[in-house]
Amino acid sequence: MKHSLTAIAVLLASTSFAMAEGELQLFNWGDYTSPELLKKFKDETGITVTVTDYDSNDASLAKIEAGGHGFDLVVPSANYVQIFVEKGLVSELDLSRLPDHGNIAPEWMDVPYDPGRKYSVPWQWGSTGIGVNTKVYSGDINTSALFMDPPPELEGKINVTPEMNDVLSLAIMYEGGEPCTEDTEVLRKVRDTLVAAKPKWQSMDYGMTEKMSANDVSASVYWNGAMFRVRLQNPDVKFGYPQEGYPLWMDQVMLLNDARNVDQAYTFLNFILQPENAALISAYARYANGIAGSEAFMPEDMKDAPEIKIPEEYRAAGRFLPTCSPKAQEYYTAIWTELQK
Amino acid sequence: MARKTYFDVTRLPGFSTIAVIVFVMLYAPILMLVIYSFNAGSSVAIWDGFSWRWYVTAWQNEQVKEVTLRSLMLAASAATISTALATMAALATTRKRAFRGQTAIYVAINQPLMVPEIVTAVALLILFAAVKVATGYQGMGYLILAHTAFCIPFAYLPIRARLEGMDMALEAAAADLYASPWQGFRHVTLPLLMPGIAAGMMLAFVTSLDDVVISLFVKSAGQDTLPTYLLAQLRRQVSPEINAISSVLLLLTLVLLTTFFLLTRKKD
Repeated sequence: MKHSLTAIAVLLASTSFAMAEGELQLFNWGDYTSPELLKKFKDETGITVTVTDYDSNDASLAKIEAGGHGFDLVVPSANYVQIFVEKGLVSELDLSRLPDHGNIAPEWMDVPYDPGRKYSVPWQWGSTGIGVNTKVYSGDINTSALFMDPPPELEGKINVTPEMNDVLSLAIMYEGGEPCTEDTEVLRKVRDTLVAAKPKWQSMDYGMTEKMSANDVSASVYWNGAMFRVRLQNPDVKFGYPQEGYPLWMDQVMLLNDARNVDQAYTFLNFILQPENAALISAYARYANGIAGSEAFMPEDMKDAPEIKIPEEYRAAGRFLPTCSPKAQEYYTAIWTELQK
Repeated sequence: MARKTYFDVTRLPGFSTIAVIVFVMLYAPILMLVIYSFNAGSSVAIWDGFSWRWYVTAWQNEQVKEVTLRSLMLAASAATISTALATMAALATTRKRAFRGQTAIYVAINQPLMVPEIVTAVALLILFAAVKVATGYQGMGYLILAHTAFCIPFAYLPIRARLEGMDMALEAAAADLYASPWQGFRHVTLPLLMPGIAAGMMLAFVTSLDDVVISLFVKSAGQDTLPTYLLAQLRRQVSPEINAISSVLLLLTLVLLTTFFLLTRKKD
């Protein structure tokens, strides 16, 4: 009798211990979560993180809105943060449970879509600029003129990524407007310049990591992380930050309303707020993370990479893209359709 | 000289040219994918020499192992259940005289072949989400159920084709020789039907293994299958690891399909 009681006591104790460790369901972009980060997290906290992948903001939103998904954390892009908040799909964070919340770098703390970071914790961020092979073109690379009015050296050798929001935002800022503008005069100029420039482009395509490494394409409107990887293979390629203005993007972790593992979720959020852990995220997916002091823990080739850490003089021109009004969206689509012809 | 009097499509001008173009379009991309899975470098466009490196990388990738096992388990379950159901459906629709509503039943059984997959997927997302919220159960059951449903016609068609080629007189002969209905089925119908059942099962297995759209919409937390995992990897950079995984998947599919053809081959 005494034995069986002890056995039950031990069993109960071990069960509750297991509960304290538990599991966590992270719904994240594919190929975006460092296995090392998850291993370190498990070693330190005993919590097993299961990652399920998605490949677009819309896909994640649709699954979460439908309900019954079983996820605890999701990682939407900047322009989707407000949508998740407005639809009531995420919880406001209890900052007292995130002692390392102050580690968020000042420039990423008061972002327009989540002032004070009450709903989200930074995951990774990057920018859209122009990668240029400086052997082919030696002039100033920090301008959207490279694709809006290509210099003779780059005619027929420049690619533009087929991403409507990125390209039109760059073009609008080049013409002196604001992203999502409804000013038809600016938009008309944008359209005319783009349509006139298009014959001088080589292509509107993805896959530039390969093509620029192999010198098949000499310049491209593209993302910083990809251009960083290109430079490691082809040192002539430099990444330009258009001084007229360029888009910034950021993905951040949010706590779902119907999360089942809330305690584990807070443990994880605070874990990635620590610089040495945030650095693991960056080391894997090769983008910066928004946690102050994490550079010191990054791999050697990333620490001073100008594609990862934006040089001081170009920082001010970076802009988060707002979610456009339906009217602006209509203009965007119209210009984009004309450009695709 | 004998002149052909019937229509022969192979004599149309340009027939062989078009045929060659079609075959190149079908197989060249797959060939490229397989070739670059052996690339020593980390690019899928620049050849850097031969290496097994990416197969090793994929083999050591815990997540790849996990999603592959899940996919195989799912395909095996869905193929088994759907083949059992399809066999019964095929027997019910062929081993008797034609009856009213037979065509309607064919159409109903083959619905997954005709309804756009995305429609089924969205419908399942909405329905299953409601069930998941109501019951709290989020296991693999939903994926197995959904896969079973769309695998049924793939199992059904070869089994029905086999049954249609089988003489009904065989069962009548068995009955004449005092076989009970069950004995007749067990010792005459079923053995003759076996190649059809095996072929149907393999087709169902491959169909389930390749599915992306429905899996994507139905999966719950921690239920990535190999195809949904591969799809999500493409966001950043395509590495030859994807080629290596795809090549293995292709090999598995080829083995199964070859077996399918051998089993359904007409014996002259």
